[in-house]
Amino acid sequence: MATRPGDYTHFKSIVPLKRVSIGTKYWRYYDYGPKSVPPLICIPGTAGTAEVFYKQILTLSSKGYRVIAADAPPVWSHQEWVNSFEKFLDTIGVHHVHIYGTSLGGFLAQLFAHYRPRRVQSLVLSNTFLDTREFAAATTWSSLITWTPEFLLKRYILSGIRDGPQEPLIADSIDFVVSQLETLSKKELAARLTLNTTVGAIGQVLVPDSDITIMDTNDYCATPQALREEVGVRYGGARKAVLKTGGDFPFLSRADEVNLHLQLHLRRVGVEALVVTKGPGGSDDSAQGEDGRGFLQHPDLGMPPAEGGTGEGSSTSSSNSSASEAYRQKAGLGNEWTMCPCNATDWDSRKKFPLDLLVAASIEATIQGHGLPNDGLLGGSKVSIMRYWQLAMYNLY
Amino acid sequence: MATRKRTLLKVIILGDSGVGKTSLMNQYVNKKFSNQYKATIGADFLTKEVQVEDRLVTMQIWDTAGQERFQSLGVAFYRGADCCVLVYDVNVMKSFENLDNWRNEFLIQANPSDRENFPFVVLGNKVDIDGGNSRVVAEKKAKGWCTSKGNIPYFETSAKEDLNVEAAFQCIAKNALKNETEEEIYLPDTIDVNNGGSQSKSTCEC
Ligand SMILES: Nc1nc2c(ncn2[C@@H]2O[C@H](COP(=O)(O)OP(=O)(O)OP(=O)(O)O)[C@@H](O)[C@H]2O)c(=O)[nH]1
Ligand SMILES: [Mg+2]
Repeated sequence: MATRPGDYTHFKSIVPLKRVSIGTKYWRYYDYGPKSVPPLICIPGTAGTAEVFYKQILTLSSKGYRVIAADAPPVWSHQEWVNSFEKFLDTIGVHHVHIYGTSLGGFLAQLFAHYRPRRVQSLVLSNTFLDTREFAAATTWSSLITWTPEFLLKRYILSGIRDGPQEPLIADSIDFVVSQLETLSKKELAARLTLNTTVGAIGQVLVPDSDITIMDTNDYCATPQALREEVGVRYGGARKAVLKTGGDFPFLSRADEVNLHLQLHLRRVGVEALVVTKGPGGSDDSAQGEDGRGFLQHPDLGMPPAEGGTGEGSSTSSSNSSASEAYRQKAGLGNEWTMCPCNATDWDSRKKFPLDLLVAASIEATIQGHGLPNDGLLGGSKVSIMRYWQLAMYNLY
Repeated sequence: MATRKRTLLKVIILGDSGVGKTSLMNQYVNKKFSNQYKATIGADFLTKEVQVEDRLVTMQIWDTAGQERFQSLGVAFYRGADCCVLVYDVNVMKSFENLDNWRNEFLIQANPSDRENFPFVVLGNKVDIDGGNSRVVAEKKAKGWCTSKGNIPYFETSAKEDLNVEAAFQCIAKNALKNETEEEIYLPDTIDVNNGGSQSKSTCEC
């Protein structure tokens, strides 16, 4: 398959996936763009992985920003997530962060800002919430999450996503996320659901409202509107960057708009993109930091002009190799800006599951009917769990 | 608990550099004016809650850079625009002559589904300067252009003296809302229960 600039295959071919161990667990992440620029850290929701932000990584790095998209290893409590995330940042040598968090990722970003006020400089919160109690209440079987078979976990995670025909870009975004979900292990799925359904609420966040952007989609999304509105009320002075449409995954379906808002946010909170001037006359243009035309793109990386079909990128790239070398040095770019022979997943062929909360609920009842303990399930042997599941399924159908 | 989604109106302000786009937006949203000129880099937006007839809507107003070298943020903000405001300076002929270019630019970039009926509003700004003695574009001439482009509503404004700014933006909101509601009817997936209103085509008479 040919790689088009800006598509996922292209992304996989130029941006390497990294891993770093925190204790016995691994964070997976992408870290792209000039190392001297304070990074924007992207944290996905329950259904997302670091890969879902590939359009932000490609576009914003080409404009001189550093973007890190990170996937937590399976952790089982909010506090454990906060600790693990902090160690992750320490390990990769990042102190102050700007965080872009969507749904569960937005909740966790706020949680981190609450517990580590000095590290979080700004927040972009998208389709998110202040409190998990509603999810906890709706998931009566949450204590059974670690017992639940993979397909049901996936089904549940996808249950909020709107079914039925979609506008093509939104349909594509859902397909992409579903394909990412397929790459997650059962343990990872269970951990994410556990974080989403464990009772927890955001305490005081010291990030000033002026350094917060709330980026919600106005058409629909899985996070109930009432919960999203609580976020707007809490950070009353935050910038409200509402997108008219985009569904649950605007970073994929409306990447150009999301990238624009992220750029505006970073500019407002004082993050300067790393800009290399193209020579005489160009300096005042590019000094501002967000002028794509002033920023010298890295020619041999074939940076995408923009995400597919938007025509956003008016950038011209110079193929002057000494200039590119200068950029490489100034940007503090190391070897990671080289090719990575990863394969893209074939996400077109994946399927999505319909909502089936009822099934899960009745399975819970069935299991309890069999006298299984419903807490501390991690220790159960795989074989016995499977047997109970077979029983449960048998009783249901 | 069914909270109805908010109506979001997206408004784009275009026009030559220095005509007062940023000043008009600031006067309208923040009730502030500054004599100092700071060129807009790229684009930026402000939001304002407005009452249009009996509805409370959120207006997202995009202020753009008139200087070409600062138009660096791409055209993403054009997406889903509900109204385009074209601004010129009544004291600068060139800024009036360029309205055609700005209008075309918008139609190309935003590519609205109904080009003929897409709502524009034209503002002739800085009418306060020199008590009107230095103006070079006559009101009649401006109105003629607006009429020829499908009856675009026209306002003469002063961001400095807050003249006609509120009225202009009321009209902008009203036309944007009309566009937004019409758009929704054609979306196959949208259920819009509050759209019983009439679909009269007349431009607002404010
Ligand atoms: N006297 C007078 N001056 C105005 C008025 N509106 C704007 N100005 C002044 O005109 C200059 C330019 O105004 P801006 O609002 O920055 O112009 P702009 O259209 O945003 O310019 P760009 O950002 O470069 O596209 C500033 O010095 C303003 O103070 C007005 O109604 N009357
Ligand atoms: Mg301006």
